[in-house]
Amino acid sequence: MTREARIMLGGPQGAGLETAAQILTTAYAKKGYNVYSTREYHSNIKGRHSYIILRVHPEKLPTAPREKPHIIANIDAESVFTHFSEASGNTLFIYDSTLSNMDLKKITSMEPEVKARIINLLEAKGYGTKLTDAVKYAEKELGAIPIPLNFKEILSELASKIGITRTQALRYTNTILIAAVATATGIEPLTLRDGFRARFKGREELISHNMTLASIVEEKLADKKGFVKLGEPTGTEPVFVVSGNDAVAMGKIVGGLRVQTYYPITPAADESTELEARENLVVDGEEKGSILVVQTEDEIAAISAAIGAALAGARSATATSGPGFDLMVEALGWAGNNEAPVVVTYYQRGGPSTGLPTRGGQQDLYSAVFSGHGEFPRIVFSSGDHMEAFYDAVKAMNWAEEFQLPVIHLLDKFLANSIVTLPAPDPEKAVIERGQLVKEPIQGKYMRFDKSQGPISPRAPVGTEGAVMWYTGDEHNAEGHITEEPINRLHMHKARMEKSKLVLEKLPREDKAVLYRGGEDFLIVGWGSTKGAALEVLDELEKMGLKGSYLHIRLLEPFPAEEVKNVLQQFPEDKIIAVEATFVNMISKLISMHTGKIITREVLKWTGRPFYVEELTSAVHRILTKGVTKEVLTYGF
Amino acid sequence: MASSSFKTDVWIDWCPGCGDFGIVTAMQQAFKEAGLQPWETVIVSGIGCSSKTPHFIYANGVHTLHGRAIPFAMGIKLANPNLRVIVNGGDGDLLGIGAGHFVALGRRNLDITVVIHDNQVYGLTKGQASPTLPYGVRTKSLPKENIQDPINPLRLALSAGYTFIARAFAMDVKHLKTILLEAMQHPGAAVIDVLQPCVTYNNLYTTQWFKQRVYKIEDEGYDPVVRSPEDRDEKLTQAMKLAGEWGDRIPIGIFYKDPLKPTFEDRIASRIPTFKASPPALQEIVVGKKPIISREDLFKLFGNKLVLRQPR
Repeated sequence: MTREARIMLGGPQGAGLETAAQILTTAYAKKGYNVYSTREYHSNIKGRHSYIILRVHPEKLPTAPREKPHIIANIDAESVFTHFSEASGNTLFIYDSTLSNMDLKKITSMEPEVKARIINLLEAKGYGTKLTDAVKYAEKELGAIPIPLNFKEILSELASKIGITRTQALRYTNTILIAAVATATGIEPLTLRDGFRARFKGREELISHNMTLASIVEEKLADKKGFVKLGEPTGTEPVFVVSGNDAVAMGKIVGGLRVQTYYPITPAADESTELEARENLVVDGEEKGSILVVQTEDEIAAISAAIGAALAGARSATATSGPGFDLMVEALGWAGNNEAPVVVTYYQRGGPSTGLPTRGGQQDLYSAVFSGHGEFPRIVFSSGDHMEAFYDAVKAMNWAEEFQLPVIHLLDKFLANSIVTLPAPDPEKAVIERGQLVKEPIQGKYMRFDKSQGPISPRAPVGTEGAVMWYTGDEHNAEGHITEEPINRLHMHKARMEKSKLVLEKLPREDKAVLYRGGEDFLIVGWGSTKGAALEVLDELEKMGLKGSYLHIRLLEPFPAEEVKNVLQQFPEDKIIAVEATFVNMISKLISMHTGKIITREVLKWTGRPFYVEELTSAVHRILTKGVTKEVLTYGF
Repeated sequence: MASSSFKTDVWIDWCPGCGDFGIVTAMQQAFKEAGLQPWETVIVSGIGCSSKTPHFIYANGVHTLHGRAIPFAMGIKLANPNLRVIVNGGDGDLLGIGAGHFVALGRRNLDITVVIHDNQVYGLTKGQASPTLPYGVRTKSLPKENIQDPINPLRLALSAGYTFIARAFAMDVKHLKTILLEAMQHPGAAVIDVLQPCVTYNNLYTTQWFKQRVYKIEDEGYDPVVRSPEDRDEKLTQAMKLAGEWGDRIPIGIFYKDPLKPTFEDRIASRIPTFKASPPALQEIVVGKKPIISREDLFKLFGNKLVLRQPR
């Protein structure tokens, strides 16, 4: 039987959930499974609740979270209370039985709103607020199978077996979850060992201690071994276990990035950390280049330094999220005016202001497209999944240099923090295009903004022998000196602005907007990480007899109006549904602005949590069959 | 266009008598004496009267945003450390809106030279108080006296970690030129606070006012140089004290010079050994149209995230 496993791991931040997910993912990957995981966490270092949803699939890579986990594995009581209501028939509900008498009302780390919601839920069905009540609810009301494990006993057994103290054994708590999940999904110890090995490279003692614990847990769960039946895995090709941040870092390395600047911000900073860890691109002792990663004093300095490096001829980029991008905007306009090839990798999170700093959203579409005073050309381009993010990171740097303008590579927290088994991308399939970069010494006078041959001028880096050039934020002449003369302005501004037209002419269709599946019953319109959920929704609705398509808009500025309009025209108005993680539905308005077509159906979500396949499927279904025009989604804690 | 004199044919639109003229002349002379090539020299500026400087010098000019000259300059210098990078900006630009970057440059000790055109007012916006205007004074376009304390640029630079700190007077071009030459030769972050009049908006601190007060510290046997790490505290204390002198006598000259501290370039090279020989801007990143990094390279660079699987 072909079947996927959906696993939820919950516990306090700092308790090793990420490590657990990574070890499990590696183990499943080793066996040939495809794994997708998404992580929800608070803006906090230790103690607040976090959880990870993993989907393990024997044949294809899942692309969005789904409801109804087969396993909910909880480290602490807060996790039990937060997630018991997500159980369904035969969900294995794993928890620490020593916490059974814990009262929800006494858990101080829980937000009062969460507590109130759960108390209402329990009391409505006549349950109390003890942990056992929540477990009973999951069992009686939802059909879950409680799996109480005595964590204390298990850790004591470990302590005595490997000769450590009970306190020291506490560090292994997350391994109880790992082992329980591995056992329930039929992962044999040897495969699990691969997971530990990958994580604890060379630390044999640690690996063996973890395996000892795993065997203790396996014994206790003997009757649930392989309870969640996974289909036969089919993957044989190498995969990378990577987050969206990692995929972009990989793309930047392949694309020849040489300077990355950043100021720490969630959820962008991990990308810079990954790059810095690989500053010296040395392979088998051979130097392939180096990447200078500079942590600046703020985001203004980050983009300013990146632009400076670009002027000197290095491929350069900065990575940030909304609040940081806001600070960068003045310099973005400078880059536009000075035709400087700089890349901003922009990971959206929940705004406005600090908003939901560790949650996701697509609310920065307008910010990416419209920010900055005055008019200047820019490219705003969005990736829908990890593979796109990898190749797009290369393309972003190409286009910055080809069209000599700032490029915003727009991503989001959902993609940044979801970890997948990514089939190894192939750099051979990437092209490096540096546009009109002048590499030879200049003889005679050099004019940086010479528009005699068209809007794109030959670009000699600052430091080119014989070339002297000026850059200025003011309007300027061909040499780069300030001038406010109207006829120069007429031509210079036009030349800059017309680069947007060139972008639309030059970019291939697949980089503008892509139509998936091709069913004619309805059309979902979206962009960015919406792709993952939308594609699975198409499959679900097809099972219900509705064959639709997904229009994945990649290029957001300049806007591919023709391509989008052509697709929209093929569907009746009441069968076109825009899906976006915003309140105002920005993509619909952007489409209207550029095409005159008005999208009247929409599914929106602004809780900061990702679209779940089930909730989105029913929302689209209701719109198609019940005459509803707008659905607001809220699933996920 | 006489490149050997570093002059451009752009008309200099500063008010007659402006201190900026002296600074530009001193720079042009210093560049010539140092034997710099215009194409390997970069003048980076912010916004304001003085930030128009790049357009008046025949060398690469990067006229950026208000307060942001230093980070732009840092990007240029780090991408290609072979370039000679000089930042020009006003006191409002570098010590007001750009103060964070000014401090950060000191912490890094990156090898660039910062020239502060210090006239105590925001000239281009009609004479508002700048961060160096003393408390309680009222220059002519201020409706009321200034109620903010001034920054002491030298003391700020000393605290931030600059390794070459000097003060000059814009109307003494020869002295300024000498300091500029030494600042450019110095390996590390150098700052010169250049006192200058704003003939239009600063009616209190005029050319005459300064002329009557400035004196050269080297003439009085002042020794700014740190010769061993143990010297540092003493030399810093001495410079801090001297930097506080303001009134009937105003010291100019080199206050502090520490050639021993590693530059930012040195620090980067300790992590990236090829940084100086093969800096970011000068690396080849492509073979034909293909990336230098192959699939196998990617496997090795991201080996900790790679999972190989058994073919079935």
